Amino acid sequence: MRLVLFTILLMVAVVMAQSQQPPRQTGVLRLRVRVKADDSSPLRGLARKRFFLIPGTLEQNRAVVTAIEQQPLTTRDCYYKQHGASAALINWLKEGDCESVYCRSIEHDFVTGSKAVPEFAIAFAKGQSEFGHDEIAREWLTTNLSADLRDGFYRDRQQVLTALLKQGDAGIVQSVMTDRNGTAYFTDLGPATYVLSNVLPTEIGQTLVTWNCEVHVKAGDLATETPYVISNRKDRIVKCVGVEKPMPVCAAD
Amino acid sequence: MIIQISAEFLIRFHLCLSVAVFLVPAADYSKFSHATEKHGAACSTCHKIPTKDWTKTSPFPDITDYPDHAACVSCHRAQFFRGAKPPICSVCHSKTSPRDDVRFTFRNPATKRQFTIEFPHDKHQDVIALLRFAHPPQNYNNCTICHASRTVTFKTAPTDHSSCFNCHWKSQAPDAENCNGCHKLANAPYVTAELPSRISSKFIHDGGGERKQHVAECTTCHINITKAASLRGLKPDVPITACTECHNKVGARQDLSKELIALAKNHAFVCSYCHSENVGSRDAPASHYLIAERPPITRKDIK
Repeated sequence: MRLVLFTILLMVAVVMAQSQQPPRQTGVLRLRVRVKADDSSPLRGLARKRFFLIPGTLEQNRAVVTAIEQQPLTTRDCYYKQHGASAALINWLKEGDCESVYCRSIEHDFVTGSKAVPEFAIAFAKGQSEFGHDEIAREWLTTNLSADLRDGFYRDRQQVLTALLKQGDAGIVQSVMTDRNGTAYFTDLGPATYVLSNVLPTEIGQTLVTWNCEVHVKAGDLATETPYVISNRKDRIVKCVGVEKPMPVCAAD
Repeated sequence: MIIQISAEFLIRFHLCLSVAVFLVPAADYSKFSHATEKHGAACSTCHKIPTKDWTKTSPFPDITDYPDHAACVSCHRAQFFRGAKPPICSVCHSKTSPRDDVRFTFRNPATKRQFTIEFPHDKHQDVIALLRFAHPPQNYNNCTICHASRTVTFKTAPTDHSSCFNCHWKSQAPDAENCNGCHKLANAPYVTAELPSRISSKFIHDGGGERKQHVAECTTCHINITKAASLRGLKPDVPITACTECHNKVGARQDLSKELIALAKNHAFVCSYCHSENVGSRDAPASHYLIAERPPITRKDIK
C-alpha cells in the first residue's frame, strides 16, 4: 500500500516538474515620437496618439502596410463639415485639438452667451427640460447631441482601423497611447520583429503623417533602453521617418 | 386496468420521499440572487431607471432604490404572506413590519457583489484623453474624471454611476438602460477589495517636493493603462524606471542605490524610502539591482 502511494506521489511530482515551463523571456519597446508641425517649429513630443505593434516584418505585413498607405484620407475638419457641424463647433474642437466632444469639458461660456456653440446650446436646452437642473444639463450635454457629432468621427476611424488590421493575419496587435512627452511603452513583448504603425494618419500641421516602421525586440530589452525615436523629420536619433501627405481637399469646401 | 400497490411499496415510497425532501434544502427567501434562473429577465423588468424619487437621494438621475413590491409579488405572493415576519422582506427592508417601510441603502453595502464591471480603459483614453497641442494651461489628467483624489496618496475608483452617466445616460452605448453593457453576472458572489495592494506605500501622488514633481500625466508612470481593454488582470503597473528617472540619477539623487548599499552591508536592513516594513524587508527585485547597476543578491547571501 505504501509503495503504491509512493509511486503515485512520485508520478505527480514528475508530471508537475515537466509542466513547469521556464519563464517566458520578454522585452520592452520604449517609443518616443518627436514631430515638427512645420520647418520653423521646434521638435516636440507627439502627445496622446495611439500606436500599434503588428507582429511580423514589413514584408510579412505587406498587405496591411499597403492598405494603410493607400487608405482614403479624411481629416477631422472635413468629417465635421460633411456632417453639418457649425463653424463654432469646429473651432471648439480645434482649440483643444479634439477629435470628439468628449475630449474636454464643455464650459458654461460655450453653452450660452456670445461664445455659445449652437449645437451645445440646443443640447443644453433639451437637457434643461429633461433633467430640470442646469448643471446636470451642462455636464450631461453630450447625451443630447446627435451621434454623428458626438463620436461619429471616432467610430468611423475605429471601423477603418478594424478593417485595416483585418487585412493581414498578424496575430495579436498591441496598442498604446503616447503621453504628453510623446513617449509610450510596449511591454511584455515576445522577442521578434514587429511593424510599428499609427495605422490611421496623424494630422500634423498641414500634413497627414503615417508611420510603418520595422522594429526588432530582443528578450531582456528594458524600459531603460535608448528609446526608439520616430519623427516626421530626419535626424541622427530618428530611427524611422513617417511618410507625409498633404491634407486632402475636403469635398464639403 | 387495476394496478395493485402493496403496503410495502407505499411505505418504501413514503420513506424515499421523506429522505428526498430532507436532502433538498428549502429555498432561503431572505437572500436574493440574480443568478437564479427566474431572475434572469431583462434588468428593466424590475429596475426602473431613473428611480421615480431619485432627486431625494441622488444629485443625478440614477437607480437609487430597490424595485417596487410588484416586481417580487408577481411570483412570490406566497412568501409575502408567510408568517408575521416573512423572510423575503429582509432582502430590502431593514425591519420586517407592515408599519415600517425603511429599506437598506441601495445597494446594500453588507451584501456581496453579484456583478462584475466591464470598463475598457483603452477606448476611454481614445475619446476622453485626446488633448494634443492644447493651449496652456494643459490639463492632461482627464483620468481624474473618474479617479479623483481619495487622500494625497491614492486615487479613488468610481463607486457609482456619476462618472458614467454623463456620457452613457442615453444614446451613447452602452446606455443606462443597458445594465448588461457594463455589468456581467459574476460566477459567484464576491467581496470587492477596497484598496488594491500597494508596493510603494510611501509614494504620494501630490508629492515630489516643493515643485510637486509627482504631479505628472497619469500615463507617464501607469504605462500599461492605455492598452487595457478590460479590468481583469489590471494592475497599477508602474515600472521602477518611473521612479528612478528622478530618484536614482547619477549626479543627483541616489535613493535606490543608497538603500541597496545599506542592504548589502546588513541583511536585516529595511528599505523604507518607498516601502513600508512588510515590503521593505523582502529581497529587493532584480529590476532594482539592474537600475542601480549592482549584481542582484538575496538577504540569505548577506553575512
